[in-house]
Amino acid sequence: MQRYLNLYGAFLGQQFKSYAEYRANFIIGASSTIMMQAANLLTVWVVMQQIPDFNGWGFSELLLIYGLITLSKSINHMFADNLWTVGRVYIRSGQFDRFLVRPIDPLFHLIADRFCYDGVGNFLVGVVLLGAALAGLDLAWTPLVPLYILLAVLSGGGIFIALNLITCVTSFWIMDSVPVTRAIFDNHLFAQYPLTIYPKAVTTLLTWLIPYGFASFYPASYLLGHDVGVYAWAGPVVAAVLLFAGYRFWQFGLRHYSGTGS
Amino acid sequence: MPAIEVENLRKVFYISKKDPGLAGAVKALFRPRFDEKVAVDGISLRVEPGEMVGYIGVNGAGKSTTIKMLTGVLVPTGGTVRVLGRDPHRDRVANARDVGVVFGQRSQMWWDLALVESLNLIAKIYEIPAARYRELLDEFAATLELNELLSVPIRNMSLGQKMRAELAATLIHEPKVVYLDEPTIGLDLIVKERIRDFIKEQNRTRGTTVILTTHDLGDIEELCQRVIIIDAGHIIFDGPISTIKDRFGKYREITFEVAAGAARLELPAGADVIAAEPRTLALRFDRTQTTASQVAAAVMSQVDVRDFSLAEPDLSAIVKQIYNGALQEEAAA
Ligand SMILES: Nc1ncnc2c1ncn2[C@@H]1O[C@H](COP(=O)(O)OP(=O)(O)OP(=O)(O)O)[C@@H](O)[C@H]1O
Ligand SMILES: [Mg+2]
Repeated sequence: MQRYLNLYGAFLGQQFKSYAEYRANFIIGASSTIMMQAANLLTVWVVMQQIPDFNGWGFSELLLIYGLITLSKSINHMFADNLWTVGRVYIRSGQFDRFLVRPIDPLFHLIADRFCYDGVGNFLVGVVLLGAALAGLDLAWTPLVPLYILLAVLSGGGIFIALNLITCVTSFWIMDSVPVTRAIFDNHLFAQYPLTIYPKAVTTLLTWLIPYGFASFYPASYLLGHDVGVYAWAGPVVAAVLLFAGYRFWQFGLRHYSGTGS
Repeated sequence: MPAIEVENLRKVFYISKKDPGLAGAVKALFRPRFDEKVAVDGISLRVEPGEMVGYIGVNGAGKSTTIKMLTGVLVPTGGTVRVLGRDPHRDRVANARDVGVVFGQRSQMWWDLALVESLNLIAKIYEIPAARYRELLDEFAATLELNELLSVPIRNMSLGQKMRAELAATLIHEPKVVYLDEPTIGLDLIVKERIRDFIKEQNRTRGTTVILTTHDLGDIEELCQRVIIIDAGHIIFDGPISTIKDRFGKYREITFEVAAGAARLELPAGADVIAAEPRTLALRFDRTQTTASQVAAAVMSQVDVRDFSLAEPDLSAIVKQIYNGALQEEAAA
């Protein structure tokens, strides 16, 4: 574990050096995500101006949900963005082979091979959103609250990473898994809003099948004092189970990896 | 314990079959059909520590596929692989510490990093002790002439520079077994020579076991005592180079320097003139029908010979003959 952390640091340091060479890319990447987020937020804000009470949820409460999922997503974006393109970039070109002949876990190697700086923009936006939400809410602050938020964001990040991992494994068979990953990933858009506004089927989907609800709605509800039962604390378990399943599925896929000719 | 032990190794690729056009794509979605491609078909071999083995065959014979199974990149469809006693796929991490691999022109380094940065990262991945790493880096920088390249990003290197860098990256953790899949492809003679010397040196000083795939038989002649020839996934020859030459080098050439050409030569059966110039005379003879001394004696009795030389059989000509089916003919006879 210690070894992998050190290695991650080494990978990160080296990437920072090569990023420094492409400083313009870095700045454009990070600022364009911030701008995209700003546009999204503006939409929410405009909508809220029209309907100040959205199905019983106030602006700051919606912001809390939105901020939590943005932070969770940014964890995936920063640390595991390579899962998106493992097929397109690494397998198709044959670069993936080199991960398989090194004395470290190939999945770790893949993930550590690229820290996505664009995700930092998302992370900062998430922090601002969460800050704004908390400022506008009247929460009873105990030491538990920041710890709970931290746990919720980490589990949410784990859920995002796990779902991308599971879908990216298909690239061992179909080479380009981006459409598959996107089809699942896009469901997180539903989880940017309170799940109570949807028909039962959608809520079930986002709780049991593609459980992005645990990255936003359930922890936000708990913080706001709504009763969501065990769902309030299920996030870490869901993340752990999904990550474990994802890793096993990855190993299964690896055995079916056929590489490229030549 | 042998360095590599392979028993009845097989690899089948399943290639999905699609009719052209959108209709084909839709059909393939609902009823996928697969073509089976048997790339490696029951190979068995054993390589002892410190051996340098040439693994050759025509394009598509199954060389790279074999190497990928030996390195644990691909899981065999059948048969077993043991490298230093381990299953390279199941024991991936332990195996990786002891082996190194060069895949043709595919770099294992980071495109945007300076060579020395790539090597530093590799040293961390392999947990090479810092002092040992410095020593090896100095040694490789000298033998592979990398000093000026250390600060150059891989993306800015020429093919030959990249391959030298690649070899350093592959051998910096002092692997016991090294697989080189076409390490000299596209390189000029001088770089080729330098790379061969480097490999030879590694083998001599560290006892590195080397499996070398190449289409340049010069590499094989320089480096390997033993050759394995593979064709359509089968091993068709496994033995010393000298055996290939003896067994399959049916023809030999003998060249005479003469004072004056003879009008007509009486030659033993199986010998022919292949070039006659005013001062030189080149003959080819079939070793199964006659001998060099009979041919030489016959020529010397008829023309005034100043000097003559017997050419070593040319490996690439022989291998070409084997690729063309000489072996099958022999097996049939
Ligand atoms: N990933 C793959 N999927 C499908 N078929 C493959 C794959 N890799 C190799 N093959 C097929 O397997 C056979 C053996 O290929 P391989 O790359 O092992 O040949 P090779 O001996 O290395 O040839 P070359 O000298 O051209 O490098 C070829 O017919 C090739 O088309
Ligand atoms: Mg090949």
